Amino acid sequence: MRPLSRTLIVVLTLALATPALFIRPAPAAEDVKIALVAPLSGRWARQGQLKKMGAEMAIEEINSQGGIKALGGAKIVLREADAGDSVEKAVSAAQRVLTREKISAGIGSWLSSFTLGVTEVAERLQVPWLSLSYADSITERGFRYTFQTSPVSSLQAEQALDLVTDLARKNNRPIKKAGIVGDNTAASMFFYKPLREKLLAAKGIELVVDDVWTPPLADATAIVQKLRSGQPDIVFYGATNFPDSIQVLQKIKEFGVKSPIQGVGAWLVTPEYVKAVGKEVLDNIQTVVAAHPMKGQEELVKKFKQRTGEPFMTQDPLCTYAHVWLIKEAIEQAKSADPKAIRDALAKIDISSGPAVSAFYPSRVKFDERGRRVGATPLIVQWQDGEPFTVVPTAVATRPIVWHK
Amino acid sequence: MVLAELVQYVATGLLVGGVYALMSIGLALIFGVMRVVNFAQGDFMMLGMYLTYFYAMSGSVDPLLGAILTIPPFFALGWAVHRGLLARVTGGGDPQRQMDAQLILTLGLSLVITNATTMILSPTPLGIRTAYATQAFALGPVLLNQARSYAFAMALLLAAAVYVFLTRTDLGKALRASADDPEAASYQGIDVRAMHGLAFGTGIALVAAAGGLLATYYPIEPTVAGNFIVLMFVAVVLGGLGSIPGAFVGGLVIGLVQSLTLLVLPFQLQNTGVFIVFLLVLYLRPQGLFGRRARTV
Repeated sequence: MRPLSRTLIVVLTLALATPALFIRPAPAAEDVKIALVAPLSGRWARQGQLKKMGAEMAIEEINSQGGIKALGGAKIVLREADAGDSVEKAVSAAQRVLTREKISAGIGSWLSSFTLGVTEVAERLQVPWLSLSYADSITERGFRYTFQTSPVSSLQAEQALDLVTDLARKNNRPIKKAGIVGDNTAASMFFYKPLREKLLAAKGIELVVDDVWTPPLADATAIVQKLRSGQPDIVFYGATNFPDSIQVLQKIKEFGVKSPIQGVGAWLVTPEYVKAVGKEVLDNIQTVVAAHPMKGQEELVKKFKQRTGEPFMTQDPLCTYAHVWLIKEAIEQAKSADPKAIRDALAKIDISSGPAVSAFYPSRVKFDERGRRVGATPLIVQWQDGEPFTVVPTAVATRPIVWHK
Repeated sequence: MVLAELVQYVATGLLVGGVYALMSIGLALIFGVMRVVNFAQGDFMMLGMYLTYFYAMSGSVDPLLGAILTIPPFFALGWAVHRGLLARVTGGGDPQRQMDAQLILTLGLSLVITNATTMILSPTPLGIRTAYATQAFALGPVLLNQARSYAFAMALLLAAAVYVFLTRTDLGKALRASADDPEAASYQGIDVRAMHGLAFGTGIALVAAAGGLLATYYPIEPTVAGNFIVLMFVAVVLGGLGSIPGAFVGGLVIGLVQSLTLLVLPFQLQNTGVFIVFLLVLYLRPQGLFGRRARTV
C-alpha cells in the first residue's frame, strides 16, 4: 500500500471515531445518585439495614414507574456507605461517598450523634441531606442543606408528657412521680433535658429516678432496683442499644416492676424484641416515634412485608422510603439533578399528597427556614400482643390505646 | 435496708464478674503460654454464643448445656487456627523467630470474623429466651438472677477444671513448662508447638463456653465482642499477665467494681471506676495482683 492511502485510512478512521469518543448518548437518561449513609455494621447495623430496605423499595417503585419524568425518565440509584459504630466512621463514610462521584442528595444516618457529624460534611460539600434523627441541635446550627422530617426531641418530650399525664388522669392514676432511664446518645439526651429542666416541674411531677449511662450497660440490676424502690408512675425510657434495653426489660420482669414505660424512639419497636423478651413483657409498653404505619397505609405495609419478610414495618424503613420519594419530588420540581437546585426545591417544597408525605404525620411536607418540617407531630406506638400499633393520634391510630393496669 | 442494698450490689457484681472471669482465663492462658495477645478472643466468644443459639433452636438444647457443648468444636477450631495461621507468625515454638505479626493477625482475624458474621448471619440481634433469665432466687431481700447464678456456678466449675488440669496432669505440667521456658521444655522432650496448639484451643474453647453462658441472658449479635473485649484485657492485666487465678480474680474484681461504683458515682461513670482501680493496681503493684516478674501460668 502506498503511503498516501495509509494516511488517508488513518485520517478517515479518526474522523469516524471522533464523534463516538466525544458525543455521548443523550444526557437526559443519566442515573441520579442518592447517598444513604447509615450504620450497616456495628451495634446499630440492624437499623441501617431497615433503612436500606425502605430506600430500595422506594427506588424500585420510582424506577418501575418510569423514573424521574423531568429528567427524561432518569433512574435513581442508591449509593450506600457504612456509618459503622462511631461518629468518626460515619463522617468518613459520608466524605467518601460524597466526594467519589456526583451525588444529588443524601439520607441518614439514624443515630442523632452520627447525623450531627454527617450533615457537617454534606453542608460543606453542598449536598442536600434528609434525616429522620430527632436531636434538636441537628437544625440549630444554621445549616442550609439539612432537612429534618421528624419532630425534634424536645417537642417529643413535651407532647409525650402531655399525652401520658392526660391518659393517666383519665384512668384515675394521676402521675405524681416520674423516672428517667436510658443512655446518653444525643436524641435521648435532648428528650430528657426539657423534662428535667422544666416540663416535669411545671406539672408538679417529682423526678424520683434519673439514671443515664454510656452504652454498653454492664448490668441493669441497680437501675431496676431504683425503679422498684422509687415506684415512679411513669418511666421515660431511652436505651437505644439493644442488649442494654433487653437487660433492663428482663430485670423489670424479674423484679416485678409495674411502672408504665414510655419509650423515646423507634428502636423500642423492632421485631427482635418479641424474640428476646417475649410479648408478655412488652405488652402496653409505648414509645414516641417520628413515624409508624398509620390507618390507610395497609397496602404499603403489606408490600413491605412481602418484599422483606419482616413481620411489620416501622419508622426506619418508612421514613427512608418517604425520603427517597421526597428527593424524587424535589428533582421533579427543580428539573435538575444538581444538588444546589434540589436544595432550593426542598426549601420551597410544599406538598401534601403522594408517597413522599403519606408516611409523615401530619401528611404535609414543608420546611421552615431552619430545615425542620412544619407541624411535625410525633406518634405514639404501643406494643399489643406482640406487635406495635399506632395508638395516638386517634385519627390515624390502628388500635385504641390501653393504659397500664 | 442499707446493708441489704450493699449486699445486693456485691452479689450482683460477683455474678456479673463470674462470666468476665471465665472469658478472661482463656485469654490469660493464651497469653501465658504463647505470649500472643489475642484481639479476636471476643469474636470467638460471639461465635460461641451463635453456636449455643443454634443448639437451642435446632435441638432445643438448654443453653447451659449448650455452652458446655461448644467446648469440643471450639477446641478443634482453636487448634486449627493455631496450626493454619498463628503458628506461622509466632515462630511455632521457636523463640528465635519474629513474633511481631501476631498482633496484626489477631486484629485482622477479629475484623474478618465480625464482618463475615454480619454478612452471613445478618446484624439482626438474636436471643435465647429462657425462663430463668427473668427469674430470681430470693435470699431475704437480696435477689439473685437465676441465669446469672447458673452462669456463675458453671464458670466456677470450668475455671476449677482448668486449674486442676494445669496443676495435676502431666499434660498441664508440660503446658506450664512450655510457658515458663520454651527452650528448656523442648530439651525435656516436650513438643512446644503442640503445647501452643493445646493452649490456643483450650483458650478459645473456654471463651466460647463463656459466650454460651452469656447467651442465657444477653442478646447475640455480630458486634457483641466490643462490649466485653476491653474488660477481658483489663481483667488479665489486673490479675497479672498470663496468670490463670489472676485473670479469674481480675474478672470478679471488675464485676464488683462496676457494681459498687454505682453506690458513689453516677451510671455514666460506671467503667471509670473500673479503670481507676486498674490504674491504682498497676501503680501499686505493676506486675498485677497475682503476677510474678517472670511469666507463668
